[in-house]
Amino acid sequence: MRKARLFLQRFGIASAVCLLAAGGIFGYTAWLHAPKRGLPYRDGFSAGKADEWKAFGGTWELANGMMRNESDERGAKLLTGSPYWHNYSVEADVYLLGPSGDAGLIVRSGNEEAGVNAYSGYYAGVRTFDNSMVLGRADHGWMEVPRPSPIPGGIRPFQWYHLKLMAVDCQIAVSVNAATSSEQTAFEITDSHCIQAGRIGLRSYSSGGIWRNVVVQQATHQDLIAMMRAGESHTPATADRADSIPETAESQHLMEIEPEARPQQGLTGVSTQSIGSLRFGSFAASANATVRGVVVLTVPRLYVEDASGGLYLPQYTGPLLKVGDEVEVNGDAFPGPFSSRMDHARVKVLWARTPMPPLSVTAAQAATGRYDATFIELHGVLTGKERGANNSLILDLDDGPQSFRAVLNPGRSNVLFTRLKLNSSLRLRGICAVDSSLTQDLTPFVLLLRSNEDLNIIAGPPWWSTRHILALIVVAALLALVSVVLYHRVENWRLRAILDERGRLAHEMHDTLAQSFAGIGFQLQAIRNGLPSGMPALSDQLDLARELVRHSHEEARRSIATLRTEPLDSEDIAGALEDCARSMVRGTNVEVVATIQGDQREIPLRMTDTLFRIGQEAIANAVRHANPSRLIIALAWSSTSVCLQIEDDGAGFVPGGGLSGFGIRGMRRRAQNVSADLRIDTRLGAGTVVRVEAPLPPRMTLKRWPQVLWKYTVRYWSNARSTRAADSHLYRG
Amino acid sequence: MVYSPFELEAASALDAHKDRGVDSICVKTHPPVAHGQLRVPEKMNCKFAWLGFAACIAIVGCAANNPNRIAVIPQTEGTAFWEAEHVGAEEAAHRHGAFVYWNAPTREDDVEAQIALVDRIVHEDYQGMVLAPDQALALMTPVRHALAHGIPTVVVGSPLSIPPSSNLFYILNDDEQGGRIAAHRVEEILHGKGTVAILGINPDLAGIMIRARVFEQTLSQEAPGIRIVERRIGSANVPHEHQVAHDTITSHRGLDVIVALMWTTVDGTLSAIDSLPDARGIKVIGFDVGSAPSFSRSPSLDCVIQEDTRSIGEKAVDLILTRLAGKAVTSQIKVEPVVITRANIDSPQVRRMWSQDWTLGHTPWSPTQ
Repeated sequence: MRKARLFLQRFGIASAVCLLAAGGIFGYTAWLHAPKRGLPYRDGFSAGKADEWKAFGGTWELANGMMRNESDERGAKLLTGSPYWHNYSVEADVYLLGPSGDAGLIVRSGNEEAGVNAYSGYYAGVRTFDNSMVLGRADHGWMEVPRPSPIPGGIRPFQWYHLKLMAVDCQIAVSVNAATSSEQTAFEITDSHCIQAGRIGLRSYSSGGIWRNVVVQQATHQDLIAMMRAGESHTPATADRADSIPETAESQHLMEIEPEARPQQGLTGVSTQSIGSLRFGSFAASANATVRGVVVLTVPRLYVEDASGGLYLPQYTGPLLKVGDEVEVNGDAFPGPFSSRMDHARVKVLWARTPMPPLSVTAAQAATGRYDATFIELHGVLTGKERGANNSLILDLDDGPQSFRAVLNPGRSNVLFTRLKLNSSLRLRGICAVDSSLTQDLTPFVLLLRSNEDLNIIAGPPWWSTRHILALIVVAALLALVSVVLYHRVENWRLRAILDERGRLAHEMHDTLAQSFAGIGFQLQAIRNGLPSGMPALSDQLDLARELVRHSHEEARRSIATLRTEPLDSEDIAGALEDCARSMVRGTNVEVVATIQGDQREIPLRMTDTLFRIGQEAIANAVRHANPSRLIIALAWSSTSVCLQIEDDGAGFVPGGGLSGFGIRGMRRRAQNVSADLRIDTRLGAGTVVRVEAPLPPRMTLKRWPQVLWKYTVRYWSNARSTRAADSHLYRG
Repeated sequence: MVYSPFELEAASALDAHKDRGVDSICVKTHPPVAHGQLRVPEKMNCKFAWLGFAACIAIVGCAANNPNRIAVIPQTEGTAFWEAEHVGAEEAAHRHGAFVYWNAPTREDDVEAQIALVDRIVHEDYQGMVLAPDQALALMTPVRHALAHGIPTVVVGSPLSIPPSSNLFYILNDDEQGGRIAAHRVEEILHGKGTVAILGINPDLAGIMIRARVFEQTLSQEAPGIRIVERRIGSANVPHEHQVAHDTITSHRGLDVIVALMWTTVDGTLSAIDSLPDARGIKVIGFDVGSAPSFSRSPSLDCVIQEDTRSIGEKAVDLILTRLAGKAVTSQIKVEPVVITRANIDSPQVRRMWSQDWTLGHTPWSPTQ
């Protein structure tokens, strides 16, 4: 009854825990899939935060509180948000950095990869090529709505446009207006097999771009209708913001340097020299020089490179340049030990979109200074990371015997800072700078990275880190613990099966053998009763036969008693042994006394059975061979062990003489199997004391489990050894 | 060893038979059935077995019905020149009920990105690959990896130096023919005497080198009076090509014809001619332009010798799917380029080449306003 209650209690607790866990998982999944999770969303560009955005191509960096992609790559995109966002609108101010491309927004994006149209989603943007607002669907291929919507006044680069893209069920609407105008153009499509949900993104095609004030909010059909009607009474959402955003000189500079607007600038037959040749100029005084090269880094320093080397342009204050711009630079050249610098530089952009590939070198080669101010690629193992001045990310790296540092501007580097793990193998691309102000003489050179995309994780830290080894030890220990528990559980099942089998055999013997003996005895008695007198010899033979049957019946009954049918509880050991003893001495004058001391507790079935079998054997030996008048069965419980003692006042025996005949060897083997200690004290004429003391399994606590684990493991192996030894002994014997 | 009761029953039956000299018997035993426990009848077991077998067949059948997935990787995408290949590939796939995965680097010269893409295809579940290599040498190893993984591969456009095999096929633009057409066209324009510049030579692509070589050979054999005065390496950068063309024109006054071997060179050359008033008389013969040429805006443009990417894409996917169906296929096919002139720019054949509707007329939307 108590067990049933305990089982029900445990079952109830387990069920409650399972239900709770299932509810938790369901709730979490539902929350994760919620189409409104994270809405409304507003970018953190102005606060310098963009960790949640993920780039596919391009060179995405934060600058002046805006997200900027300086590359002219076709289809560079930056994505964020939940893949389960369903009905929503995204709006932003968009600024084109080139005259022959487009820039805009993505909604319901999924399956993103690097590639021009390698995503599934809707894209809308402003395009200079045909002065139109472009809308279409990408599905690893581009499907454009065939009616591009012309924008009044056209689309011009270096001008802010406010773009809004809305997806409500299968209706996709887009609107655009110049920040300086309240005139809005909008149109809408219905996609019969629409993409149902996805993230948002920023995207540009064949042009760099700048984005700011990205806002995502839930949308309804009413919002969509209002958006399409907004042309009548629309006040541009950015009108206020446009006022608050200073139209700095940057855009003016951009206008000035745009190469295709002024393609011949700087190409008037000026005599140029290679950048490498500047190093052979006078060390005493600067010399005016003109060089041509490609811009390889703009922030935090401006570097220009050609095939012969790199050039540092300090304190450059001219128009904003982009990486990949091919430029003509005129200024005062100062040769340095490894590279040159040019002061008071005047830069003219020749053309854009000529990204320079990096030179692949080792750290040892870079440490020679030969690659100073040039764009290189190298490998290294990350040994440290920290935040430097202006929140820049500083990485310490090793490549063989050489150490070097890599510096990345703040902005999206927060993502990297958390993602990078020490001892990871990295591939980095950046400008090699041999400059004490950067290296602080700690390393031979510093690598100035341009954006997050200049860093690739080749491999994570090796698995044999201290943390992983500790985790491995813990896992191994847990596995060992589970194995031990499982082993004991299996052993219990095996024992229970044996007990069941014994019970079955006992029942069989009772129903067949014992009944037959009783029947034979009855028949013999009947024959004996019916036998006429005067046949003494036959009577004696019948008596002998009856006696043999009776004896066999007794033996059968004893065997049935020995083959117990029910498995014992630990509390029943003494009682069961007392019952067993009483049944064995029935009809004699032997006194049976049973005592229990200490607090009984639950012990493994294997141990219970062992104690019972040893006790049973001792009682049987006493009854059969010692002819006692008193038999004491004592069971004593302590906190660490249980002790069973069977004491008789019979004949005793001489230790060492024919012990195996008394089943003592079997008792020892049983005792060994549960790590119990068996002692037999006896003397001729002074009775026998059989004492078995078994250690109790410790109560499991968090503090004790390693100790227990160790103990069980040792015990398991010693048991296995002794069993093997005993088996081989039996085999030999 | 612990026996279950029914095993013991079997063993005792065997013992009984052994007494009669029988070594083995077949004993039908049933585990005891507890009260209330259902025993599944043997007939029912058979039904379950048949149901399971049918389910397996259905699963295998469904798996077998999965459409073949063909990866098509052009040199780049997002230009009309390569989108036409997408259209052709989709046409062939549609006929065979296959699926086309379409992706490419964002630039023609981004060899590393194309290698990464090929490597990814090799390790994913694709039954075939169509590749327009960005670089003849660097793509050899990735293509060999694909072949080692048993992926039928069709190299299109420009060849690699791996010979065709049972799994490697070539559907190439006939660059030799392209070179000959250009030479004959120059001959027609110059009537046997004049000067020519060859711009946009690209050693990365074997096809471009072939067309340059054949052009020169044909010209030297058939019109020895025509001199080639300049040969310049090309790049994927239009402004750069503009500068190269500008330098060439200004340094060779009286130049008659420019043969531009790459689309970037064509665009750069035409803009350079536009910017130089005394260069308007120069004729341009271009190759493989990125979008439909505008003869009215560019009077200097004589003709364009265009690779038929749409046909090539269609034939390539068709070839793979035919090969997957176990039928015999040709290991190498050459597709003749199409000459686009003022006269045929609006012909159906040429217009077909610029179609970008890879949905094959099944665009899913309708404008509502």
